[in-house]
Amino acid sequence: MRRLAPLALILAAACTSRGGGSCRGEYCGTVVFAAIGQPASLLPPASDHILDRDIFDQIFLKLADVGPGLNTVGDSGFEPLLADRWDWADSLTLRFHLNPRARWQDGRPVTAADVAFTFAAYTDSVLDAADRINLVRIASVTAPDSATALFRFRQRYPEMFYDAVYYLRILPEHLLRDLPRSQWRNAAFGRSPIGDGPYRFVRWDPGQSLELAADSTFFLGRPHIRRLIWRFAGDLSVAVTQLIAGEADAIQVLVSPANIDRARRAPRLALYPYPGSVFTFVSLNLRGRDGSPPQPIFDDPAVRRALVAATDRVRMTQSIYGTTAKVPPAPIPEEWTSLWFRDLPVPPYDTAEAARLLEQRGWQLGSDGVRRRGGRRLAFALAVPSTSPPRMQYAQLIQEELRAVGVAVSIEEMDNVTLQARLHSGAYDAAIVSWATDLTPSSGMPQMWMTGGGSNFGHYANPAFDRWARAATTAQTRQAVTAAWRAAFAVLAEDAPTIVLSAQDNVAAVDRRVTNVRLRPDSYWAYLRDWRIAPDQLIARDRLVR
Amino acid sequence: MAAWLLARLAAALAIVFTVVTLVFFAIHLAPGTPFLPTGDRPLDPSVEAGLRARFGLDRPLGAQYVRYLGALARGDLGESFSQQRPVALALEEAIPNTVVLATTALAIDLLLGLAIGAVQAAYARRRLDTLLTHTTLFVYSLPTFWLGLVLLLVFGQGLHWFPVGGVVDPVLHQALPPAGRLLDRLRHLALPALTLGLVGAAGTARFQRAALLEALNQGFVKAARAKGLSESRVLLGHALRNALLPTITLMGLALPFLLTGSVVIETVFAWPGMGKLAADAVLSRDYPIVTATTLAATVLVVGGSLIADILYAAADPRVGRERAR
Amino acid sequence: MTALPLLPLAVILACVAATVRLLARRARSAAARRFFASPAAAPGLGLLLFFVALAVLAPLVAPYRPSAQLDIVGLQSRPPSWRFLLGTDLFSRDVFSRLVYGARVSLGIGVLATLVSVTLGAAVGAAAGYFRRATDAVLMRLVDVGLAVPKIFIVLVAVALGRPLGPVPLAVLLGLTGWFTTSRLVRAEVLSIREREFVEAARALGARPWRVIARHVLPGATAVLMVSAALSIANMMLLEAGLSFIGAGVQPPVPSWGNMIADARDLLTTAPWASLFPGLAITAVVLGLHAVSDGLREALDPQARGADPALAAGEPRSRERRLGGWVARR
Repeated sequence: MRRLAPLALILAAACTSRGGGSCRGEYCGTVVFAAIGQPASLLPPASDHILDRDIFDQIFLKLADVGPGLNTVGDSGFEPLLADRWDWADSLTLRFHLNPRARWQDGRPVTAADVAFTFAAYTDSVLDAADRINLVRIASVTAPDSATALFRFRQRYPEMFYDAVYYLRILPEHLLRDLPRSQWRNAAFGRSPIGDGPYRFVRWDPGQSLELAADSTFFLGRPHIRRLIWRFAGDLSVAVTQLIAGEADAIQVLVSPANIDRARRAPRLALYPYPGSVFTFVSLNLRGRDGSPPQPIFDDPAVRRALVAATDRVRMTQSIYGTTAKVPPAPIPEEWTSLWFRDLPVPPYDTAEAARLLEQRGWQLGSDGVRRRGGRRLAFALAVPSTSPPRMQYAQLIQEELRAVGVAVSIEEMDNVTLQARLHSGAYDAAIVSWATDLTPSSGMPQMWMTGGGSNFGHYANPAFDRWARAATTAQTRQAVTAAWRAAFAVLAEDAPTIVLSAQDNVAAVDRRVTNVRLRPDSYWAYLRDWRIAPDQLIARDRLVR
Repeated sequence: MAAWLLARLAAALAIVFTVVTLVFFAIHLAPGTPFLPTGDRPLDPSVEAGLRARFGLDRPLGAQYVRYLGALARGDLGESFSQQRPVALALEEAIPNTVVLATTALAIDLLLGLAIGAVQAAYARRRLDTLLTHTTLFVYSLPTFWLGLVLLLVFGQGLHWFPVGGVVDPVLHQALPPAGRLLDRLRHLALPALTLGLVGAAGTARFQRAALLEALNQGFVKAARAKGLSESRVLLGHALRNALLPTITLMGLALPFLLTGSVVIETVFAWPGMGKLAADAVLSRDYPIVTATTLAATVLVVGGSLIADILYAAADPRVGRERAR
Repeated sequence: MTALPLLPLAVILACVAATVRLLARRARSAAARRFFASPAAAPGLGLLLFFVALAVLAPLVAPYRPSAQLDIVGLQSRPPSWRFLLGTDLFSRDVFSRLVYGARVSLGIGVLATLVSVTLGAAVGAAAGYFRRATDAVLMRLVDVGLAVPKIFIVLVAVALGRPLGPVPLAVLLGLTGWFTTSRLVRAEVLSIREREFVEAARALGARPWRVIARHVLPGATAVLMVSAALSIANMMLLEAGLSFIGAGVQPPVPSWGNMIADARDLLTTAPWASLFPGLAITAVVLGLHAVSDGLREALDPQARGADPALAAGEPRSRERRLGGWVARR
């Protein structure tokens, strides 16, 4: 018994000591984000995954950012970042003056050469950045001197300024110029980036966590939160559990009503509803796994319409989300309320009609309940990430509903990094994708559905849609824009290159001790550097100094 | 003795070598080009040429095999498709975690199992014995992952006594004093090790009870009793010592159980070990990682049974002498 | 398809209980009496028969089709009631129906895998033990290799290289990976049996080796084989459950007790019945198999109950003979 006493003392000391934590005042604080899945790469043009974007947007800066009004038209609603002022040299030329205090985290100043280099990278066909198609209306970016960047446009249209600033995260030319673009996706820089933003990269434990530290010399003001840590959880449920147990401080989307309920009942969490920017759809690969048309099943618009008609999307969405999501008429999120047209020719839920359509196209019901045409079964694989319980649910619901009309669906589960790779390489039949949109349909819609779009995974190509989308992005009046989008969505409804599943509400949860929390639907943690933790609210992990 | 040891070592190496060869052939039977991702983004030509040169894919199978062995000897196990980094690196991080988990579970298994078995033998055929028999039978029949889920639910999510996953606290761990760091690790280790350990202990207890009862009926024990030694002295002194040998064997055979269990348990508790690595990799068809973990598991099993054999030989000199042929 | 599963359930329960009582009372041979004297053997046998009956009579007992999503909005995650005996799961499927059909899959895989593994193991072990020398050396080296790789990894490699397997291929693969321990046990038995006089006599009469093995040697190893088989079914079922749980085993919508637990994993707090009952079912069947194997060991081989220190010396390989009954769960 006596031998136990010193041991007990040591253990007690270990428990009570708050360990290495002595930070006091305004610039302490550690915010832990409960993240789902893994990041792929922190090099901005090399990844279009939400988690990667959340992280690298703290490390790299844009020239300017959308202001609190979320107005994407014109150039008055924007706030300076890397560029501290701008003007128009002529009607097609935009001139940015870079902030002279901007520095890369290795000490070198940020120059206009970096801006020109970044533009070249984002528009390089070898790299094939997802945003490349959104930059087609910019003819060139030049650097007449080290503090001035000139953007020349091909035409005038309302969202010129938005296109110039929104997509480009300015990259360090001096660190990346020697790296061939073909190797950017797997580059070491993407696992240990050096940027110019409010936070520096510190450490990445694969599969465990990633840490960023505040740059106290950040030229736009020192961030109040000293450390940011992303904890990687295997899936949404684990992430929410960690959040409620106090092992994480924030999550950007709670997704399901059950999670929202759990978070609401946790006394230390505050809920933040904000405009829904996420929607879920089934991407149909119209080109086939080996990359060449025709895809034997999805090639036929009538078959695709039959698939849409065979799935009761309203009830499926109700089953999974309750009242926190709706079925949009086109692949769009809730926040684009003006585009929720009620009269688009989307095939309504009608299994008899679906069966009739399939019969008409030659798919006859076989003895095992699966349709066949000329020896080929009407069967495909549905890829779904194991990190997303709602999408896994959709997969099983869709499987059962399509079985009822003679379509055999097999479910392929995989982690999110593998799914991304498969989407980009076209090695899939169908996949359930969740997409977080930008603030305006003119970024996003072209990317996803126009011929050659960087996120057009299914290789949908319809000149009619391309015409209307181009018209919508360059139209000069609001009515013209809305009318153009209506026509474009009508094409999508007829053609059915996708089965649209849901557009979700966004509800975030953040620990109450963090104040001044604002979230933006297109970039969840855009205002992170304004967040504060009051000195009297600091807990153990906030006080750590390293 | 030395000759026997060498023979055992040679046998162990032969087994590992055979498994390595089988794995090589399994990979080459796989669809798609070996060592390259199936159906993923087509590689940059220079990268692909590099991989081909490195693995000699355009050479005959025999030459590829030699290269493969050479790469293994250098520690090059290929690149992970889903993690975009060398497999050896991923294994390097994962294996220690599994070893820690397995050793702790084994310790719990042994201590708890021996204790329960001894208690059962001491109270043989009385009510406590019957109760423990039924309990150990029940626990031994539980699926380990289900027990893990229940423990996680009750003690992790419910009572918050233990964290809900991971091996250390990603935020606090670096800043804690050494004792605090140890405690942090122990708290994270507790539930997964307990899950595997409890089920293993139930099995060990079942075996120990029978073994001890058998030993208690042996002649030398009866003699000890006749000499007037107390029942507990008899039990602890003589019976346990003689039940030790089969226990060592049992421990040697527990390693496959622990490694198999680790695949599922590490998934339940998000414990970043070899098992979780393999389970995650399977769904992503990341066969460099899956085959590498298979090899690692084999090496661990072979090593473990070698150690068990050595311990057995040390405990029972007759074995060593007989083997020396 | 009946609307009230309670009636067939009660009938099955009664029949099973009656059968077990009858067998216990009618036990004539010493072995059978020893079997039923073993504490948990009779209840264990009853449990097993119950689940086997459920599996076989599934279409008569289950009120709904196992993959039928009855009302994905209104009947999700309902607690147990008269209409849904064990409640419904996340997809509004009847848990009881899925449990019963899942019994077919889980038990079926266990039994088929065991058939494969016991047959292979007996054949290899008998050959090694009977022919000895070169055959023995080669075969036992093969067994050493097989024992070195934990079974689950072989299945994981197969899935990673190809795609998830259907129930029957999965069972066969599990069987092909599980025969190694059985072969060692059989070999040990055969080694001792082959020295007996009747075997010598058969050989002297000129009988072919395999005939001698089949008719004279193997029957003596029946005890070991039966105990081994019972434990093997338990192991295979647990292995399949674990594989299905992580997604590498039986794929949806085919129900298996393992993937039912995986589907309901997030609902442990809100809808525990969806994972509780499959877990209990697995436990019950495995428990029954262990109890029965304990009873079989006592009945057929009362000497080999534990470790005999006197036998501890000798070939390390024969350790498995005495640990044979206890070497489970790999």
